Amino acid sequence: MNKISPRQLYFFLACVMPVGKLVILPSLLAQYAKNDLLFPMLISYLIQAGVVFAVLLAMRKGESLYALLSNTFGKVASIVILVILSIFYLYAGLLPLLEQRLFVQSVFYDTLPSLAAFAPFFVFSIYLCAKPLGSQGRVWDILGPLSVAGLAGVLILSVASTDPGALLPVGGGGFKGALKAFTVATGWFFDGAILLMLLGRVDYKKGTAWKGTLFYLAGGLGVLAFLAVFYAVFQDMAAGQYFAIAKTSKYFSGITVLGRIDYVFIYMLSLVMAFWCTVPLQAGIDCYLQPFGRHRHLATILSVAVNAVFLVLLYLLDNRFGEVMRFITGPSFWIFPAFCILLPPFSLLLRRNHERT
Amino acid sequence: MNARRFIKTIPMKLYLILLGVILFAFFSNDFGLVDVQKTAIILAAGIDKTEDGYTLSSQIAVPKGSDRTTGGTSSVEIETEGKTVSDCITMLYTKTGWVPKLIFCNLLLLGEETAKDDVFGGLNYFLRNEYMSDSCFLAVCEGKAGEVLSSQSAIDDASSLAITKLFSDAAKKSGKVMPNTLKEFSVSYFGVSKSGYLPYVRMSDQEGAQEAGGNESSGGSGGQSKPQKIYTASETAIFYEGKMTGLLPPEETLAFALLKGEVFAGTFNATDKNKPVTLTVLEDDGSVSLEAKTSPKVKLSLSLTVRLCCRGVSAPIDDVSTDEVSEEVLRSAEQTLQGYMRKLWDDCAQAECDLFGLRRDLYRSSLKRYSELKDVVPNGVEAEIETRVQTKS
Repeated sequence: MNKISPRQLYFFLACVMPVGKLVILPSLLAQYAKNDLLFPMLISYLIQAGVVFAVLLAMRKGESLYALLSNTFGKVASIVILVILSIFYLYAGLLPLLEQRLFVQSVFYDTLPSLAAFAPFFVFSIYLCAKPLGSQGRVWDILGPLSVAGLAGVLILSVASTDPGALLPVGGGGFKGALKAFTVATGWFFDGAILLMLLGRVDYKKGTAWKGTLFYLAGGLGVLAFLAVFYAVFQDMAAGQYFAIAKTSKYFSGITVLGRIDYVFIYMLSLVMAFWCTVPLQAGIDCYLQPFGRHRHLATILSVAVNAVFLVLLYLLDNRFGEVMRFITGPSFWIFPAFCILLPPFSLLLRRNHERT
Repeated sequence: MNARRFIKTIPMKLYLILLGVILFAFFSNDFGLVDVQKTAIILAAGIDKTEDGYTLSSQIAVPKGSDRTTGGTSSVEIETEGKTVSDCITMLYTKTGWVPKLIFCNLLLLGEETAKDDVFGGLNYFLRNEYMSDSCFLAVCEGKAGEVLSSQSAIDDASSLAITKLFSDAAKKSGKVMPNTLKEFSVSYFGVSKSGYLPYVRMSDQEGAQEAGGNESSGGSGGQSKPQKIYTASETAIFYEGKMTGLLPPEETLAFALLKGEVFAGTFNATDKNKPVTLTVLEDDGSVSLEAKTSPKVKLSLSLTVRLCCRGVSAPIDDVSTDEVSEEVLRSAEQTLQGYMRKLWDDCAQAECDLFGLRRDLYRSSLKRYSELKDVVPNGVEAEIETRVQTKS
């Protein structure tokens, strides 16, 4: 299998990972932190950047997660760990998928479409999930520029409608609000955990770890810029503005004459989001493929099975996005810090094959 | 060998083609097709409060057929009642069988009585609706919104289209009307100022107009004759906590627009030797600021560059060619505008409306001073008014 080049990894970190944080998370942050919404996001990014740095450093070992785990804990224990990790990935993948479905139904349709309108997404997802996450490098080469152009376009069209003073005063949302916003945001920060599945799949070069971290932070800067624009556009109404990325640019003065030209950029970002939604699913499937070998049919069977389960879940959880989100970001929010902040840095301690012998 | 490899890759190629087709369909929004026979394209909605809930008057666009000579937009008005606006929308579907489509709704009109209560009871539905743009115009009208929407406009096929023409950019720059959108009004309502403004629409008979009997555009009138109406929106309703607490006359609307610095080529009157003259605004630099370091004081500051637009009496041709504005005219203009601004400030203070967002500015600059002064702004604050009118030369 071709390894992911550092350039492709940087595109993934800086351009693909941030898009999932631009849909519903901005309005949630505004709901709790009000005009201080940048701070919980900044803290989340800084913590996650540390995790990303640790996992990127672990990539120097050049071995897959399964290989490192089995060298350290033995085969059985490593399979158990990977199964637990797989369950987490699939759990983490639920929110982005539900978000994506609501986003498509609300933004691209004028009236509520039937549930079936989203079903074709799974045909696309089955195809992607049958491929290892490590083979997505070329896709990220394409998605990177698309994401940058999409976000830049949205920001440029939105900036004229902003009132930057709305972000003042610092501390207006209160400490408790910011803390709650931080805990809610953890549900969208599984970036470091995803990178675990890229262990042994990246063509690690000297400096990749710190460069990758900087690119990850650059993506975070884009998200922060969008959050600032988002709050400066909607101010005290921001809490009710779901699907933020599709809303800030609609007040551009040229739209009355030209129509929703901002959709060009929103479509670009939607395409990146569609790929991003499948990443946790791919990671979840990869957890089984690493120990049991990448047999072509096993990958396909797992991909079909996982996507079928998610399709059923989406139907069952129709109109229950709020409840799911409250559950994930409320009583069970600790799952994300446990798997995404505490666990990934341990990859640095895993032993390589020759270290064992 | 190559042929075998090609045949082997056919299923994958077909899958990729299918994938492309599906993705295209996925992002297509049903290719933007709207079945007009099954859809109520709502152009405007009027909200009137009743004892039990709300009456929603929806102005719905109706296809006019292929007759090219008529053109324009025909409409039909449907009134529905319910405990909430959502009920009314559902009732619209029940009554007509049309699926209401709000994406083209460009005007929300509030009846006068509705505006005197918290208007967000009626607007809540539209704020939550993901399938409607919150950049639609919002206005209050004299009497009932339903009556205004179902009236026959003298200048357009649909009353809502005639009303939204009043809110054009050019009209806004003239300073004669202060249009507002659902989004901007909501931002000011949910903010710390809790204040806002909306244009106030009045309707009057067009003098000397023939009655529009059986005009095909009044689809809902059943062919009955209706007097033709014209609309004005030169007054501004001001709000505090979502309730209409005052009404600014046209002069104060102009002063408000000037203080916001939004007027270009708008006109106002002054006097020259007790004779009326009209001045055109070339540059408008207005601001309202709160001095809160010691005792709070508001400064309303206006600096205008004007030129003579016309005189109300005959003048020699030299007056046209020299285009000079005397000092007397400039001082008269300053006095006139000072009077408007003083009245505007007093009316806002009386209505408890923080029209200029002073509480918001205070909140942004200092949380401590905000908590000290939030209850005295604007009605317990002295206003200092500064006006400067000059000519280009």
